[in-house]
Amino acid sequence: MMRRFVLIAIPYLWLLALFLVPFAIVFKIALSDAAIARPPYFPQFDWVEGIGAFLAELDFENFVWLTEDDLYWKAYLSSLRIAFISTFLTLLVGYPMAYGMARAPEEWRPTLMMLVILPFWTSFLIRVYAWMGILSNEGLLNQFLIWTGLIDSPLTILNTNTAVYIGIVYTYFPFMILPIYSALERLDGSLIEAAEDLGCSRLQAFWLVTIPLSRAGIIAGCFLVFIPTLGEFVIPSLLGGSDTLMIGKVLWEEFFSNRDWPVASAVAVVLLLLLIVPIVLFQRNQQKQQEAEQ
Amino acid sequence: MTIPVFEPWNDPEAKPLIQFQNVTKRFGEFTAIDDLTLGIYEREFFALLGPSGCGKTTMMRMLAGFETPTDGKIYLSGQDIAPVPPNKRLVNMMFQSYALFPHLSIWDNIAFGLKRENKPKHDIEERVQEMLRLTRLEKFARRKPHQISGGQRQRVALARSLAKAPKLLLLDEPLGALDKKLRQDTQFELMDIQEKTGTTFVIVTHDQEEAMTVASRVAVMDNGKLVQVATPDRIYENPNSVYVADFIGDVNIIEGTAKPTGPDQYDITWKEGAEPLNVKSQNSFSDGQTCHLAIRPEKVTISADKPADADNAVQGRVLDIAYLGNISTYHVELPTGAVIKAQTANTRRIARRAFTWEDPVWLSWTATAGVLLAE
Amino acid sequence: MTLKTMTLTAIVALSSAAAVAEEVRVYNWSDYIDEDLLTKFEEETGIDLIYDVFDSNELLETKMLAGGSGYDVVVPTGSFLARQIQAGAFQPLDKSKLSNAANMWEVIEDRTARYDPDNVYSINYMWGTTGIGANLAKVKEVLGDDAPIDSLDLVFNPDNMAKLAECGVYFLDAPDEMIPAALKYIGEDPNSMDADVVAKAEPVLTAVRPHVKKFHSSEYINALANGDICVAFGWSGDILQARDRAAEADNGVEIVYNAPKEGALMWFDQMAIPVDAPNPEAAHKFLNFIMEAQNMAAASNYVYYANGNKASQEFLEEDVIGDPAIYPNEETLQNLYIKEAYPPKVQRKATRMWTKVKSGT
Repeated sequence: MMRRFVLIAIPYLWLLALFLVPFAIVFKIALSDAAIARPPYFPQFDWVEGIGAFLAELDFENFVWLTEDDLYWKAYLSSLRIAFISTFLTLLVGYPMAYGMARAPEEWRPTLMMLVILPFWTSFLIRVYAWMGILSNEGLLNQFLIWTGLIDSPLTILNTNTAVYIGIVYTYFPFMILPIYSALERLDGSLIEAAEDLGCSRLQAFWLVTIPLSRAGIIAGCFLVFIPTLGEFVIPSLLGGSDTLMIGKVLWEEFFSNRDWPVASAVAVVLLLLLIVPIVLFQRNQQKQQEAEQ
Repeated sequence: MTIPVFEPWNDPEAKPLIQFQNVTKRFGEFTAIDDLTLGIYEREFFALLGPSGCGKTTMMRMLAGFETPTDGKIYLSGQDIAPVPPNKRLVNMMFQSYALFPHLSIWDNIAFGLKRENKPKHDIEERVQEMLRLTRLEKFARRKPHQISGGQRQRVALARSLAKAPKLLLLDEPLGALDKKLRQDTQFELMDIQEKTGTTFVIVTHDQEEAMTVASRVAVMDNGKLVQVATPDRIYENPNSVYVADFIGDVNIIEGTAKPTGPDQYDITWKEGAEPLNVKSQNSFSDGQTCHLAIRPEKVTISADKPADADNAVQGRVLDIAYLGNISTYHVELPTGAVIKAQTANTRRIARRAFTWEDPVWLSWTATAGVLLAE
Repeated sequence: MTLKTMTLTAIVALSSAAAVAEEVRVYNWSDYIDEDLLTKFEEETGIDLIYDVFDSNELLETKMLAGGSGYDVVVPTGSFLARQIQAGAFQPLDKSKLSNAANMWEVIEDRTARYDPDNVYSINYMWGTTGIGANLAKVKEVLGDDAPIDSLDLVFNPDNMAKLAECGVYFLDAPDEMIPAALKYIGEDPNSMDADVVAKAEPVLTAVRPHVKKFHSSEYINALANGDICVAFGWSGDILQARDRAAEADNGVEIVYNAPKEGALMWFDQMAIPVDAPNPEAAHKFLNFIMEAQNMAAASNYVYYANGNKASQEFLEEDVIGDPAIYPNEETLQNLYIKEAYPPKVQRKATRMWTKVKSGT
């Protein structure tokens, strides 16, 4: 009985220590006021004055501020848009690759899988820097296109949203491929044959059987890409232009340029609330899939 | 009034529905089907029987359109089907794994093929209902495949493949996943449905009993070739080779040399010191030719005393008894060391059994009981 | 043994352990020192020097305000220093431990006193200006031979910028630098702390925004050097570094730096000791070491920035002390302005304006 209790308690303690406590701290800062001090917000908890006086100083002013300046909701919207588009693009790139992998001869699959995972062996930052080298005006891509004669003057790709999409798709496509691949690999080939036997063309069989049966993988992949992309900071700041508006960048600016930790925390809390919706949906999907498999 | 005999393969006028003409299929170095010619007639329930790897599944997949012959031609109603893709063939297949779409309900599984034909909604509903009734699945229409039993799934697969009223229905080991009792019930159900719908069935199986039960004709295959194509009774009674005799049911094979003694009459010399066997055979043998006598255990009589006027009688002692409930098989060892099996029906209770281990017994059979085969 | 003596013993044991491996941790800008000096310091004092680098004031300030950074010496820029002093991040210097203090240059000290009154908390390490780096050949190709490469007109006149856009212009991504420059261009006080005056910079910046390829505070060094862009509004030393990199690469790119003749922002990187420095004693030794004339000269000779050390000037190489881009002449010096830290409300407005300029939102 005791043992069971401990076993159940461990994940909850984990959640408490690594999620709820940090969140409570961030939330508390979001309710404070910025100040020129160390650390740069007020009030600090003081044992002498007690918790009552401390709580009395907290308010939702910073959240009200977020609604007053259109920068924030525009940044949230823009992040959502970029996250949606990149998730879609990643799906577009990832699905055929996962499909190809799942249809490849069995002895090739571990190698293909390795190739997908291989980039993770080098630092993410270095890979994004490599893209800067590829996409810049004097970069490899432009040199190649000019060499082939397709274009005369270099295309401006770096520091545009296009570069951000390329960066996100590149960085996150393994997260899209792996769940789709595992769904497709389990797919019984005779189902496709059955569909064709019953009058489907190849394409119809794909739409009516392959896609629905890899749905769980598609959904999992989309969430795994969408959730981190929404708060992405590194890719838009390295590959994006100055007009690439994402909430991660706004948060960075609040924290570093304005040194306004409370507003930065408020932005983070709202971002988390925004993410809770897709995370809960994702969880549901996983659960449903598990039930279906039983 | 006589019931018309359904034997189109004996009618020189009849045109086969399916015609394999010198069909060869190779996968790389491996020859799965070797220069095979075969005709299957309309309304037939045709069984392809053989061990795994004999090429029976490849034949079926070529009919469905999932494989194309390397050489030769396959005709369906006189038309070469090589250029016709699977989805355009008037052939449906019931898969060994059933291949039911797990994301669709039973109803939608059955309607799947019909919807592809863009039939009016009303017609589809009617046809699905008919199929559900035929396979007694009305109650389960709204369930998903994982919510019903194995036997029900098997019927869904059958209903789905019959829904489009194909000219030809292919069944790939359709009963393999069912337990024995259910399998036997389902065999009769299959025959019933085949009769009701008048569809031509081609079934692939490795289970000889199943093939014998359901089929109008059985093709025994080995290494990509047809060894014998005949009705179940002929396959059983008149196997054309030791392979077929051995594959179908239980059999004693006695190897010896033939010596003609009269019209269709032969003396078979076998084992040193044993009396020659007296055999009647339609197949002719020359003097001294090696031959194999195939004789079914149930055609061998076992008795305590030497039967008076038996064509063949040998003495031995009981080595082993296999009790199968309704029948018992006795393994009898002869003085020469050969073992011959004899079967008797257990008409009395086991305690009253006439023979037991080590008992000396006589085995006897008539001259026409066995089949004399060259190889 | 009483509790008190036990504690004392522990403290003694700890401090003697510290004495065995005494170390000082310095946090400076990247590429900002001659590394031979680091070895020299260790040899002279026997103290282990742990030298880390950063590349943005914001990053440093976050560490300072959060506290517990573990550094003994840090190098913020003037306006950041001022705010961090206000937040109580630094400890006053013990001048008795800085025997080389007399080497400092009062011309610079007068100015740094605007950030750090009486220079109580910091000493000057390097200073420089913010101005215009230009790829001479490309700019002349676009704007003609009389292109105003030494004027704010080059980067704030939309006509010029529209033409320069085709060869590429980078601005610093630093509102504290760009807003004063824009104010200077329209004749306002660049050091104004008045929100309404600050707001006047917005239309100036917005007008040229479409022609700016990117706002970034370090990428322009490479971009200028390899010819990706033709104009950068950036820090003097960085642009001079770009000039040297281009010369080393021998790629035909010639870069020149000019402090705008209308007036340029003068900035100061100050060395200070955090209030919670683990080893303030060693930190003072390090400051005193840096303030030694020859050491300071070696640093400037290496990084091409001017320093606030009068005595070091006789040891400076001619291409440093003699380059008006590094050591401006008296007349230019008078023309330089400084900018103090905005109060929080104005800072927020400035940052917001900057975001709006950059993203159009």
